[in-house]
Amino acid sequence: MTVLRVILSAMPAYLRASMQGMFQYRGELILWAIWGVVYPTVAMVAWQAAARDPIEGNTIKGYGAQEFATYFLLTMVIGHLCTAWDMFEIGYLIQSGKMSTKLLRPILPIWESISDNLAYKVLTLVILLPLWLLIALWARPRFDVSGMQALLGVMAIGLGAALNYIFNYALAMLAFWITRTDGLGQLWFGMSLFFGGRLAPVTIMPSPMQPLISMMPFKWIIWFPSAALMGQLSEREILIGLGCQLAWLAAGLLLFRILWRAGVKRFTAVGI
Amino acid sequence: MPQIEVHQLSRIFKVPERESSFKAALASLFNRRYREVRAVDDISFSIEQGEIVGFLGPNGAGKTTTLKMLAGLLHPTSGTASVLGYTPWRREADYLSRISMVMGQRSQLLWDLPAMDSFRVQLAVYRVDKNSGRDTLDEMIAMLDIGDVLRKQVRTLSLGERMKCEICLSLLHRPAVLFLDEPTLGLDVTMQGRIREFVAEYNHRHGATIILTSHYMADVTALCKRIVVIDHGKILFDGPLADLSARLAPFKVISIDLETSPDGYNFDRIGEVCARKDQKVSIRVPRERAAALAGRLLAELPVRDVTVEDPPIEDVIKMVFARGMEQTP
Repeated sequence: MTVLRVILSAMPAYLRASMQGMFQYRGELILWAIWGVVYPTVAMVAWQAAARDPIEGNTIKGYGAQEFATYFLLTMVIGHLCTAWDMFEIGYLIQSGKMSTKLLRPILPIWESISDNLAYKVLTLVILLPLWLLIALWARPRFDVSGMQALLGVMAIGLGAALNYIFNYALAMLAFWITRTDGLGQLWFGMSLFFGGRLAPVTIMPSPMQPLISMMPFKWIIWFPSAALMGQLSEREILIGLGCQLAWLAAGLLLFRILWRAGVKRFTAVGI
Repeated sequence: MPQIEVHQLSRIFKVPERESSFKAALASLFNRRYREVRAVDDISFSIEQGEIVGFLGPNGAGKTTTLKMLAGLLHPTSGTASVLGYTPWRREADYLSRISMVMGQRSQLLWDLPAMDSFRVQLAVYRVDKNSGRDTLDEMIAMLDIGDVLRKQVRTLSLGERMKCEICLSLLHRPAVLFLDEPTLGLDVTMQGRIREFVAEYNHRHGATIILTSHYMADVTALCKRIVVIDHGKILFDGPLADLSARLAPFKVISIDLETSPDGYNFDRIGEVCARKDQKVSIRVPRERAAALAGRLLAELPVRDVTVEDPPIEDVIKMVFARGMEQTP
């Protein structure tokens, strides 16, 4: 109970401080937010062009230009809400010795990272909402979903964001052993591009890849919430998917718990 | 009952090492060599509530490693420790909320924000209630005289201003045990004095138990009645500051002021001359013969004034570190 009280007391203060800190670097904040719009837009345009090929009947495995527009607009929004950068951050904290100061507090450092993450996502909405709106006006997406599907889809976004965050943070704990995890961060992002549906909907990926995609958590982060909100999945399928997300989330939490405990034990701070 | 109890605590680090060449760097990819460094070697001590204990030692002596183990930042290789009844490296939230550590070289403040914002976060993390938080903050701001710097971005503060803010931040939750690791490092003499005054005042007002590590003798002599001298991970001395010379330095210094120049007098028969200027001479003599030799000087020379003192504490420490533990009596 004490731990919960500490978290509830600390989080509003952490969030305020995170937002104030980000105001200092608003230029960089804007650039990162724009980057989150650029690559889905490029993918959208490329796939729309491919789908307009008359030889293929103007669709690719059921995706026409409008479906691609809808899909990539959704991945743009979901990708932003799922952003995590701890694999690039934790190594720096360990290498610089700043992790020591965080370990002195009666609260896990992950809560401070979560507040940074939330602050970034909320603050950048000021820039992103108009951008998303402009792209939507241009791309003309179509959402064919029931109220229940939309509600379940929104839940899927939340779980996907939590899932991506916890795996990112858990794997960032490897920095306790290898110090720098930037490469791992790039690998994770690359895998989510390919196996998570950021580059293309996972259902249009080649058949031999499908078992591989099913064995990894990535499709539950981007593709699943997008497909749910496009009306491609029945309510039952979405509910099963939410269960899968919860299972992956539990696995991520377990991984974090194991790696955190082992990592802190190994931690020797800087110098002797 | 002691608030801090340490029993046979050791910490061994495995440090990678190689020659400084490209070839050696390449070879280390395949065959990495490690050296074991015994940073803390089987130390034991206990500290009562409200004591200020100074840890003295050269670089790499094991002072910071000891403090990090007691603050829960490092697991020991062997041994036990209990602080406030907790095992530090279990890192229980209740324990962490009752201690604090100031590291002279590590900032706990939010770098891009004014110090006041860091204080607010700290009060929330430690769940200090609003009224007592405001009172503590006002008290600290007044004691440390930092009212003028609270609205300045931390990154723009001078080293002294920042260190005062670091100390303020670390004490906002009124820790029962405070670990101060080189809190005056790099500060000018005036600022060092202010920090010392504050630490003494905090200890006096709140009865906090404090362990202080420092390179500066003045920090230790001003604040600590008890010191622990540590070198190569081992405790060379643990006791009252006043006993340090008696225990570790088997000599005293006789200083005489003569009425006339002592030309031709052979001081080597008395002891080792450590200073001589005009009619003033200081001679280092064996402790047990100090009185007799002072009497001899008084009898043989026209002495205007004489003092028999323990050697300066700095000299004793230097001598101890230079001789190493084996030769220390």
